[in-house]
Amino acid sequence: MNIVRNERNRYILFKIINEGFISIEHSDILKSIWKSIWRFFGMKEANKIGLWVIEIDLENEYGIIRCAHQTKEIIITALSFITEINGNKIILSPVKTSGTIKSIKNYMISKKNLN
Amino acid sequence: MPYFESRLRLNVQNFEEIKNKFVICEKLGIKNVIVEPDGNFKNLGVELREKISSLTKMHIYYRISLRPRNVDDLKNKLSTNKKLPTILSIETPIKEIQIQAAKDSRVDVISFADPKTMKTLTPGVISLSKQNNSFIEISLSSMMVVNKAQQSKNFRELYRIIHLVNSLKGNLLISGNFEDSYHLRHPRALISICHTLLGLSILEAKKAFDENVKKLIERVYDRYDTNFIEYGIKFIKEGE
Repeated sequence: MNIVRNERNRYILFKIINEGFISIEHSDILKSIWKSIWRFFGMKEANKIGLWVIEIDLENEYGIIRCAHQTKEIIITALSFITEINGNKIILSPVKTSGTIKSIKNYMISKKNLN
Repeated sequence: MPYFESRLRLNVQNFEEIKNKFVICEKLGIKNVIVEPDGNFKNLGVELREKISSLTKMHIYYRISLRPRNVDDLKNKLSTNKKLPTILSIETPIKEIQIQAAKDSRVDVISFADPKTMKTLTPGVISLSKQNNSFIEISLSSMMVVNKAQQSKNFRELYRIIHLVNSLKGNLLISGNFEDSYHLRHPRALISICHTLLGLSILEAKKAFDENVKKLIERVYDRYDTNFIEYGIKFIKEGE
């Protein structure tokens, strides 16, 4: 018998673009994402998201978050509306989404090799 | 898929600012961009184009926006001959000018970037532009305002105009048109916004950022082709 999986995960790789060096914590980014979700989608969508921060690397300017597959577009929208964190101008630009963390990592390696 | 940023305004007096904008666009992964140099469009010659293109690896296309005061002014401005392929857009809140622009085959885009201008869009203009294969452009820059009340009003206007154009099957073009370089977003992110907040399906949104922009560029290049007669009619030389 096939196992029917109602909810699958999506991993979103995003680029962090900012004005030179800024001091922000991982929690600041997470707070900003939640704030953006609440502002534009409210409780109705927020309870479906299942947001989880996998990795945030400020030095290499990227982050990976996990969410439910149905809410991928919502997360991309929420990330796009973040324009500043702690008064610093910032862009969180989604680069790639995938169903497995492995393919995200492979993508990052291939991009690194290209550069 | 190569999406387009259909409107990136540049201040040609400040090349440092242009460079910074291009750097952010490249960091975002934008591949194709239509730039609109501010100020006197008559200066949009080969020299300026080469200077702008040398700053980036992205594919650059050019557009000018006319803001005529009345119908006669529009006719005068359109009669100025342009020797290089340039997308011509008209931006005005005056309905008579919008209708005249929608009838004129030299006009490629009728732009409704400003929320005040958006209110003036009528089904007649959409229908005329559709007949003429020109495009109705809306810009998402108004959604980045900080004031929540103003932002929701802008969203309402964007929602209304998008669904009006869509219901009449008009040729929709969606551009970022962001003033601040830190408001710039990759077109794929803008597609998500159009889908989640403005109720467009992903396919329709993608069309407005990709397929329709390609059609627009083809239309402009066709106009500068000496063998081109009318949309769909072209001289074909023997052996072609």
